[in-house]
Amino acid sequence: MTEFGRNSDNPHGAGGALGAAPPPLAMSHYSISKIARACGLSRSTLLYYDRIGLLRPTGRTASGYRYYTDADRTRLERVRHFREAGLTLKQIRVVLSSGGKPGTKLLESRLRETADSIVGLKNQQRMLAGMLRRVAAGKQFTTVDTQLWVEMLEAAGMDDAAKKRWHMEFERRAPDGHQEFLLSLGITADEVTRIRSWSRGETDTYELPEGEQAGIGPYG
Amino acid sequence: MDMKNHVNVEEWVAMFEEVGLDEAKREQWHKLFERRHPTGHQSFLEWLGFKPEEIDRIRAQFR
Repeated sequence: MTEFGRNSDNPHGAGGALGAAPPPLAMSHYSISKIARACGLSRSTLLYYDRIGLLRPTGRTASGYRYYTDADRTRLERVRHFREAGLTLKQIRVVLSSGGKPGTKLLESRLRETADSIVGLKNQQRMLAGMLRRVAAGKQFTTVDTQLWVEMLEAAGMDDAAKKRWHMEFERRAPDGHQEFLLSLGITADEVTRIRSWSRGETDTYELPEGEQAGIGPYG
Repeated sequence: MDMKNHVNVEEWVAMFEEVGLDEAKREQWHKLFERRHPTGHQSFLEWLGFKPEEIDRIRAQFR
């Protein structure tokens, strides 16, 4: 039986007694380090896969070193392939022990998970862009910003007319609260003054400051 | 929080009623807020002056 020490990874078997003996079998044998490197995984990952029964080496050398064959390598490549698609090790073990073909249900559920992740990431992207915008503009940092607020109101079915009525009501009932709320959204003091004047009916339209992108609602 | 500058929950609800956001719509609004922007929901409720334990209860209700 061939010896596979950690030092035997060197294909030229330089110098040591471990590298000296050629493998007696025609079938390729790989040491754990060698198969790990070939598949771009770490040695400890392979040890872990062995421990959880996902990939057991074909055998052990006389001195107890694990050795892997081409069949193990093929299995490992499949494991990696499924890992890249986001299946858990547990799921992969089930797939490999039941013919190697993943069920439709499993794939569909993973597909749904990726869709959820995408939604989550898009959310993060939008939030980060908003934070960056506020930081860059030197505005007060809040977790509820104008864009979020408007989006939530619209989701609840509030249209432009309702939004204007809401501002008017807010201004009439609690002018100070209106002021404080608008500031809490990260709107500048100048803009807040304009919005409040518009809410009192003193100006017909709310003009966005020049150069600012027009958006939804009075404060863009 | 300075209460003089502040809107209480009843006023807030009244303003929403005024513009046609009824109870069902407000409920939907909380649900959406909680689902899409949980931290935003949290800071909004804080802004309205709810106590931390009340906020936990409200948020759990719409999860």
